[in-house]
Amino acid sequence: MLGLVAGAVALQAPAVLWVSFLPMLFIAMAYLYMNRADPDCGTTFSWVTKAMGPFAGWMGGWAIVVADVIVMANLAQIAGLYTFLLFGLDGAAESVLAVTTVGVVWIVIMTAITTIGIELSARTQQFLLGAAVIALALFAGVALVKVYAGAAGPGAITPELSWFNPFAIDSVGALTSGVLLAVFIYWGWDSLVTVNEETEDSANTPGRAAIFATLILVGIYVIVATAAQAFGGAAPLVENSDDVLSALGTAVLGEPWDKILIIAVLTSAAASTQTTILPTARTALSMARAKAFPERLGVVSPRYLTPAFATILMGALSIVWYAGLTLVSEDILFDSIAALGLMIAFYYGLSGFACTIYYRRELFKSVQSFLLVGVAPLLGGLILTFVFVKSCIDLADPESSSSGNSWFGVGPPLVIGVGFLLTGVLLMLIWRSTRPEFFERRAETFKEPAPAGGRG
Amino acid sequence: MAGEIVLGYDGSDGAKYALGAAARLAGDLGATLVPAFCFEPTPVGGEVGDYREALRELGERVIGEAGDQVRAGGIEGDPRLVEDRPAPGRARLAVELGARMIVVGSSGERPLAGAILGATPHKLLHIAETPVLVVRA
Repeated sequence: MLGLVAGAVALQAPAVLWVSFLPMLFIAMAYLYMNRADPDCGTTFSWVTKAMGPFAGWMGGWAIVVADVIVMANLAQIAGLYTFLLFGLDGAAESVLAVTTVGVVWIVIMTAITTIGIELSARTQQFLLGAAVIALALFAGVALVKVYAGAAGPGAITPELSWFNPFAIDSVGALTSGVLLAVFIYWGWDSLVTVNEETEDSANTPGRAAIFATLILVGIYVIVATAAQAFGGAAPLVENSDDVLSALGTAVLGEPWDKILIIAVLTSAAASTQTTILPTARTALSMARAKAFPERLGVVSPRYLTPAFATILMGALSIVWYAGLTLVSEDILFDSIAALGLMIAFYYGLSGFACTIYYRRELFKSVQSFLLVGVAPLLGGLILTFVFVKSCIDLADPESSSSGNSWFGVGPPLVIGVGFLLTGVLLMLIWRSTRPEFFERRAETFKEPAPAGGRG
Repeated sequence: MAGEIVLGYDGSDGAKYALGAAARLAGDLGATLVPAFCFEPTPVGGEVGDYREALRELGERVIGEAGDQVRAGGIEGDPRLVEDRPAPGRARLAVELGARMIVVGSSGERPLAGAILGATPHKLLHIAETPVLVVRA
């Protein structure tokens, strides 16, 4: 990831990392407020349907499902690769077949675990994330100390303030593609805010824990990017864009401490696999219950009390996508990350607009609600729309993709991203012609007081 | 022994055995039987609302069947849906009702698998303040 960002914006990677967080913060405000109005109402699919009607809602839900299937391939790739690296089997780590096989095994295991209902508790997640953060902090700390002590090797550069200045990026295209990639990094962060909300039942401001976690998250990305870049310059980041940490880990930490980093990456990839498949299956369940997807997807297994069919289907689709993609070319896997950014920008943007639209009659009741419920989500939506459109234009150039391939005369990420969205539109229209019920819904606005648990 | 017996019921085979045993017991003792279905969606996965609704519907169906069966045997029954994890949910319900006993079926898991996966009867034995009867499936 870091390597891809560095490839897009050269030495301004740290700047992109903090700038791209802003729209995510605005969208998280949207989630927070929508969640507060009706905590039972779920996320993008339900909310966008409520605020903007069934067509926008369906596409939002579709984008979530597609994004999750795409990202599973990348997570599985990381989990497969790092499994070999952990045991020092660097030879096997070079083999596409070996890595893909282990990656598929990871998806199968995590799908099975999720199906039978062993959910990683919020506490386990916190532990895994905490361990990863500590490992990264260690990496960044040691790297920076070595840089300043002059022990980092020939490529090292002393960090400069300009690295953090987004205005030092020379082209808007580079900035938007950097932001598109970084959007992926912060993806899923919004659920942290809503989980925090549910568990701690805080009053009118986002919970302190969520703000704290956010600052740590942004801080750690910016510091790690700075440290990695200072240690070896931008070149090694770009060359090892698939795997910056294991490339730099050994040089920075030395044997056997570099294993800490590998374990951290492996556990967080494994944990992320589950936090990906769980909400995807639930979005599918939500859509099936709203009659927007086939009913079968909405059935809860009486034995495991989980949406077993939806979970297994998502796991199977991920495997098909992952194995199919690596068969075509491993480079396409990296191109698909940019396509993933498009998906996320699409449905996050929708969510931002949904919040402002849903609350449009409440906006002028107080300065706070105007800024937090109106301006912030709208701004988030607009920025993500801009990133989406600008990236589409930039990604049309085949040269800008990792693979350098040209599909239908444009870059593969655009074909993947837009292809999935158009497939969605097509499927939606087919579904509408067979089961029109869902599409007869009308958009609503917020009414005081929020009906407790009421469903539209 | 008048009073209540809480029956942990999730529709599984083990739970059906437990229902038979608990119904005979309640009949002999003149107690009311309270079949309880517990469910809890974790917030970690997002989209909790519809998932919770789906679980509630499933629970109502399962617990409704249990209630019908209990009443068909001529025993007073009062099925409950509890939104909590199975072990703490049943333990808490038993305390709230002042129940004399909790009856559950063994889940049919082998001991090692049960220990790793966290079998409900095992957890219940450790946390319940009310005596627990485990019926082997």
